[in-house]
Amino acid sequence: MTVFTLSAAEREAALLPALTALTERHRLACEPYRRILDAIGAAGPYDRVAALPWLPVRLFKTHELRSVPEEQVFRVLTSSGTTGQRPSRIYLDREAAAAQPRMLAATLRAVLGERRMPMLIVDSRSVVRDPALSARGAGVLGMMNFGRDHTFALDEQGELDAEAVKGFLARHGAEPYLIFGFTYMAWLHLRELGMDLSQGVLVHSGGWKKLAEQSVDNPEYRRRLGEECGLRRIHNFYGMVEQIGTVFLEGPDGGGLYCPDFADVVIRDPDTWQEAPPGVPGLIEVVSTLPTSYPGHVLLTEDLGVVHGVDDGVWPGKRFSVLGRLPRAEARGCSDTYRQAAA
Amino acid sequence: MLDVRFPDGPPVPVDTLLDQVTAGGDLAVGDERVRDFLTGFGRRLLRPTLSRRHPELGSLGFFLRRSELQRTVQSLRGDHVRVPRGLVFHIPPANVDTVFVYSWALAALMGNRNVVRLSPRAGAVASTIVDTLLESLDGADPVVAATQRIVCYDRSDSITAALSSACDLRVIWGGDRTVDEIRKHPLTPHARDLTFPDRSSFAVVRSSAWLAAPPATRVAMAEGFVNDSYWFDQAACSSPRTVFWVGPRGECDAARADFTAHLSQAVTQRGWAVDAAMAVEKRVATYGMAADGSAGAIDFHGNALANVTLSTAVAAPRRWLGTGTFAHARLGSLAELVPLVGRRDQTMTHFGFSRAELLELAQVLAGRGVDRMVPFGDALSFHRVWDGVDLAAEFTRLVMVSADR
Repeated sequence: MTVFTLSAAEREAALLPALTALTERHRLACEPYRRILDAIGAAGPYDRVAALPWLPVRLFKTHELRSVPEEQVFRVLTSSGTTGQRPSRIYLDREAAAAQPRMLAATLRAVLGERRMPMLIVDSRSVVRDPALSARGAGVLGMMNFGRDHTFALDEQGELDAEAVKGFLARHGAEPYLIFGFTYMAWLHLRELGMDLSQGVLVHSGGWKKLAEQSVDNPEYRRRLGEECGLRRIHNFYGMVEQIGTVFLEGPDGGGLYCPDFADVVIRDPDTWQEAPPGVPGLIEVVSTLPTSYPGHVLLTEDLGVVHGVDDGVWPGKRFSVLGRLPRAEARGCSDTYRQAAA
Repeated sequence: MLDVRFPDGPPVPVDTLLDQVTAGGDLAVGDERVRDFLTGFGRRLLRPTLSRRHPELGSLGFFLRRSELQRTVQSLRGDHVRVPRGLVFHIPPANVDTVFVYSWALAALMGNRNVVRLSPRAGAVASTIVDTLLESLDGADPVVAATQRIVCYDRSDSITAALSSACDLRVIWGGDRTVDEIRKHPLTPHARDLTFPDRSSFAVVRSSAWLAAPPATRVAMAEGFVNDSYWFDQAACSSPRTVFWVGPRGECDAARADFTAHLSQAVTQRGWAVDAAMAVEKRVATYGMAADGSAGAIDFHGNALANVTLSTAVAAPRRWLGTGTFAHARLGSLAELVPLVGRRDQTMTHFGFSRAELLELAQVLAGRGVDRMVPFGDALSFHRVWDGVDLAAEFTRLVMVSADR
């Protein structure tokens, strides 16, 4: 059972009614969302997914947006706020909170298989022990559900713990195992390790900013980790707390990120806001049917991306890459007002 | 240590700097030697090579014409003797390059010794200004270089504290946070602060006047409004953020539609565009206003121009919403503006009102807010009366002299 089955046309046919229904559901249940739709004059019927009204993802930092009464909120997720910024607040009811890990598991099953594998984590145990759990810690903790015999490759000081990794490989090195880490940390520490990881399945996420500064792109990342560590199975993924449970997963061929059947991306030209054709970069809009308790089913991110192809990869649907983050808007002016406004 | 940008010199400790400036000689209000220097400097700014590249330097040069300086000095004549305050410490904002010159030039003209703290983040225009000032020292009286300093230092509490305790007047631009930050450093008991906190501005248009205006006037007004707004990405404290339309509903709607069309055209013609980051910023801000219930409708005319129809005039936003985002509200009469105005409101750009009406409004406002009322196109023009203060007068003290009878 995999969730990478729908061609672009099938996906469009499945998602359009589901997302339209979600739009109407949130319109009725979330007053601030209704006001936004009214103000921009958004009204159905919508003839395609790209015609659905989107929300800028940052609104979840500035506003409380939920479609369930306060007493039905089961969990509130928060994003890591960069300095001076409020974190996003995502409200899940019991149903949404249950669906989210289930769909994440279904998505990752495509590369991890049915059974839990032994798991090597390229991080320190302390990141999941800190009572004020960081976004990084939450990410690690979330992924730990997908493995067993968790071994942390870094000690409490963040230094490589070669003995621990050796022990792990002695126990599990002969069969497939899962390696999880943030993109940059995996790059840094797995190469430093200098061990044979050829049975490993590396799953990584977290962004390319630091690697881009070192001119390391995804093909280079895969090539070097393959050459230096024997890693053949490498899967990057892209996701955000505002669409928790939905991740866009790199296929086995490394040919781009693929969308699970319940999600899709629309690349928008930031001048015309129309959908950009394959090959033309733009802002990434992410759509997913998972956000049922908050109006996060159609979100315009501040990430730039490009669709490489449609229905032409190892899995059906769109194949895309994330190209980087939009810089923060800056204004000239005679006071520091604008910085406060932006905070 | 402080980097000394003007006059040219090696870095010095703050105590040395203060000793040098104090020993630099005395100046008088309206000092001829300073006037000569400022006019020479102003002339250099008006050179076409410079003012074409940086139009704001042209405005500054215009402000420093001999006749203008003369007018300023003369306007301060009165029954009492005006004398300089002494040492003025200026803290200009980092992001508007020309403000420090206006503030400093007036203080120098009034015969003060000045130390200007130029932010290390100051832009290219500030460097051009400093270079031009240095050039202008050629042939200037040595007293100018001896009494005036432009310095640069990274955040240093000890330097700011030393300059604060030595000065007779401290001039703080740059908004609420800067004012609060700098005020942690005490002044000597007789000294005072002149502060320029965060402000915001709006425009008022009489709808009937707009609709009756000849086409050429509307085009010119739209261009003026665009300059007022887009020059500093609408983040300048004097740039309008809300437009109040005065008149009956149908007329206001028609006037606003026509204004928007003219504005859109002026923006396109002037080539003002916003990048993707700014376009997203505007969506975040305007959608946020809708979510709050303060925006009833939002319409975009490309990324460069966004209109927000306020659900009530009370919701007029003071904060920055991204370049080219205008909130609109309708008022039945100019008087309806009065309860909406607050201390934070600085400049009211206007179209379609008589001088008498504006004077009356200023009286009725009675200090609630609004320190400037200027026509479209003049929002960013510096005037020595700024934020409710006559700067030139503020840079002096008065000596009351009563002779034997």
